[in-house]
Amino acid sequence: METTFDSLLLGFSVALRPDVLFYAFLGCLVGTLVGVLPGIGPLAGISILLPVTFGLDATKAIVMLAGIYYGSQYGGSTTSILMRIPGEASSVMTCIDGYAMAQRGRAGAALTIAAVGSFVAGTMGVMLLTAVAPPIAKFALGFGPPEYTALLVLGLVFLAYMSSTGLPRTLLMAAVGLLLGCIGIDVMTGHFRYSFDIKELGDGIGIVPVAVGLFGLGEILATPSKTVTGKVAPPRLAELLPNREEWRQSALPIARGSVLGFLVGIVPGSAHIIASFLSYAVEKRLAKRPEEFGKGAVAGVAGPESANNSASTGAFVPMLALGLPTGPVTAVLMAALLIHGVPPGPMLVSEHPQVFWGFVASMYVGNLMLLALNLPLVGVFVTVLRIPYSYLYPLIIMFSIIGVYEVNHSIVDVWIMLIMGVVGYLLRKFDFDPAPLVLGLVIAPIFEMSLRQSLIMSNGNWLIFLERPIAQALLAVSLVLLGLSALSLLMKRRDWRTKLAQAEAGEGADGV
Amino acid sequence: MQVRRDHVAGGAMLIAGALVLAASTDLPFGTLASPGAGMLPTVVVVFLMAFASVLLLGAGASPPLGAIAWTDAAHALRVVGATAAAVALYVPLGFIASIALLLFVLTFLVERKSLLSSLAFSAGATLLAYLVFASALNAPLPRGLWH
Repeated sequence: METTFDSLLLGFSVALRPDVLFYAFLGCLVGTLVGVLPGIGPLAGISILLPVTFGLDATKAIVMLAGIYYGSQYGGSTTSILMRIPGEASSVMTCIDGYAMAQRGRAGAALTIAAVGSFVAGTMGVMLLTAVAPPIAKFALGFGPPEYTALLVLGLVFLAYMSSTGLPRTLLMAAVGLLLGCIGIDVMTGHFRYSFDIKELGDGIGIVPVAVGLFGLGEILATPSKTVTGKVAPPRLAELLPNREEWRQSALPIARGSVLGFLVGIVPGSAHIIASFLSYAVEKRLAKRPEEFGKGAVAGVAGPESANNSASTGAFVPMLALGLPTGPVTAVLMAALLIHGVPPGPMLVSEHPQVFWGFVASMYVGNLMLLALNLPLVGVFVTVLRIPYSYLYPLIIMFSIIGVYEVNHSIVDVWIMLIMGVVGYLLRKFDFDPAPLVLGLVIAPIFEMSLRQSLIMSNGNWLIFLERPIAQALLAVSLVLLGLSALSLLMKRRDWRTKLAQAEAGEGADGV
Repeated sequence: MQVRRDHVAGGAMLIAGALVLAASTDLPFGTLASPGAGMLPTVVVVFLMAFASVLLLGAGASPPLGAIAWTDAAHALRVVGATAAAVALYVPLGFIASIALLLFVLTFLVERKSLLSSLAFSAGATLLAYLVFASALNAPLPRGLWH
């Protein structure tokens, strides 16, 4: 405990340096804007701004990029409450009761509850991260290639299990991602795979062009400018304070959402989206008057908003402690750390304590900054929505081209981004979630390497995965989850994932 | 038989899988004990085709193909066309010329904004981005004609 405290002090000595504070502020500001603006999510925001960090050291880079991620969770609630447009996918649930509160003249209270809930959950999430990540990293130091292989299998299975678009669709997307991850030189044998004499493909397909294409350009193509309206009236500063009853009704949902969100955040999948949905379902189940949900229930704003923030912090645990991404955003953040020569994983805490603890401490500071930014400046952020979308999306395309090109100075990457944009547009039309594709792309090389290393260790004996207890346990959990998924598929049961898909598609929250 | 959404999605994935499988024939598969460069892609593509088949089998329950709204397709096509042209010209013409052209085409031709505001927006945004990235952040943007 004392060691953790000392390490945290070291972290604060880094995070409170004026230059690091500046980049944390910049990340939070950009993140809030990314969350407010429809058509651009945290993944596209982080990917586009990744090249901007090349001139920075690893600490400043990760502090800024992570600020964009958790900042976007704060910003997403603004458009949900005021316009019933989720600026970010995880704010879908906030639309329901947040907008209903706004219709009843309580927009200011809803915004404050969302911001305070996000702050409490974000801070609680960082406290849990502080406590949990170092021991997990220490435990993972004993992991060898078989354990990593089993862990990656479990990650993919978890992703499929948690998906709201159905098992075959999710696994199909993960398979496409794994195949894309196979492109390039096979590091073990030197064979070129699917590079079709394009030398730039020798190093494989980068995550940035794929992520920006699928999530940035794909979203723009699916959002015709005439459908985006900027008409909204922000509440006055005096109207922001919730009354005593609203504070009382939000306290427990915030606490529950914080814990639930953190736990969901640790497992692979679109954690912040799932966490907000689960929190909404839990609050409705526990409510004394569940009939108020959908008509402006305070708990329907406080719970999901806390959960999505806490989940975004929880997602950092496997990334920092195990070097494993749980979703596309953490995958891009991992790529950012690697570009800066800092491999995330069990060795991060011991080999780069300044980066690890500086990053953790910056999140405490970042959450405070976001609270200060989001409430008084809500009018300013809403003003950004008045920029006509017909001018905004050309700017996003410009930044996408700059961002993708600057990673490797490769025009092939920009073409890949464009192709992925079209693919992303078509995937939306056919109801596929592109997130497992990005995860598959990141996991493929790590999975293949650890699988082949395991087989070298065992002289080609596949039983190595069943002979080591940790790998055995991880594979057993994978089997159970696969069985549960297959069972619900066969019985065509309408479980929580189906309800999540309906809620995401905007079919209301009936039955949630 | 009515063609449904998942008939097209599953069919397209099956065809894509078959094409990848055909392209994998020259990769050494190796043995189970010592996998070659072709093993993982082959195994993954077999899984991909299996999942695509499951999708195809259950396609009867998916919405009809005609239910997919393509009202945004014309706009998307115009945006893709303009972006593709800008990407093709990005290195030969350089950042300033290609991006200014892209922004102008998107605002003036695609979004039907006035000539004056489109010109001002494309020139202003391009120059501002150039100043931020090339001058302030020292990012080497392609110079093209000015090389």
